[in-house]
Amino acid sequence: MTAILVGIFGVSGALLRFSVDSWFAHHQGSRPHWPWATLAVNVVGSFIIGISLGLTGHLELGADWHAAVASGLAGGLTTFSSWTTATVRLVSETRYRAAALNIGSNLVAGLAAAGIGLFLAG
Amino acid sequence: MKSAPEERGAAPRPGLPGWKAWTAVAVGGLIGTELRFGAGLAFPESTGAVPWTTLAINVAGSFILATLTTLWIARPKTAFWLRAGIGPGLLGSFTTFSALVMAIDQQIRGGFHATWLAYLGLSLVLGLGAAAAGWKTGKAIADFGGDAQ
Repeated sequence: MTAILVGIFGVSGALLRFSVDSWFAHHQGSRPHWPWATLAVNVVGSFIIGISLGLTGHLELGADWHAAVASGLAGGLTTFSSWTTATVRLVSETRYRAAALNIGSNLVAGLAAAGIGLFLAG
Repeated sequence: MKSAPEERGAAPRPGLPGWKAWTAVAVGGLIGTELRFGAGLAFPESTGAVPWTTLAINVAGSFILATLTTLWIARPKTAFWLRAGIGPGLLGSFTTFSALVMAIDQQIRGGFHATWLAYLGLSLVLGLGAAAAGWKTGKAIADFGGDAQ
């Protein structure tokens, strides 16, 4: 049962991430490439996992629903591999500042978003 | 392959993905999520320790995605739905950023400072190292296969 819920929520997260990817690709214009879409989904997904953990603490949110939201939705929405691959791509284009910004902004904004989610739910 | 003409061409704005790509992302997303969920059940993680399962998933996913990305740059004729299903679909869902952030948050709050520093450092060094190694591997495969095409 939990695996089914996690799967449904994971597919939703993946489709949402692909929509954000496509939206940014569509509206990129002539600016040089920077992985905004990945930053956006990683920050939103970190916020969602923070909220889900906070809610599990004091609501009757069952373990399977927590897994569905945290592992499924937040896990499917966020991505690590695109983050690292995009960073290496920026380095290969000798855009070192953009690469460093990509690493730092995801970590700082992701941690802040998770903290805010926890705070709001707790 | 029939959907290819919409994606290629000289238009500065790429067209919106077709239904084949969305379906492939959904199928890939399901496989990637279940693989990650299953790995977590097989190798459970505890709060105070480095989450080795997530780390291994993220490092492996980084290597594979970087390898495929350089291969696909060298072979742009690869069907878009296939790239979408394996890249953003399967590997994007298999790897996770939210679990990494949540684990570090909880380790900081719990006072496990050596653990979160080790986890963050390992994720960055191994994750980026795997992506760099994948990037080179993909290029090497593309160069090697270039004559055969």
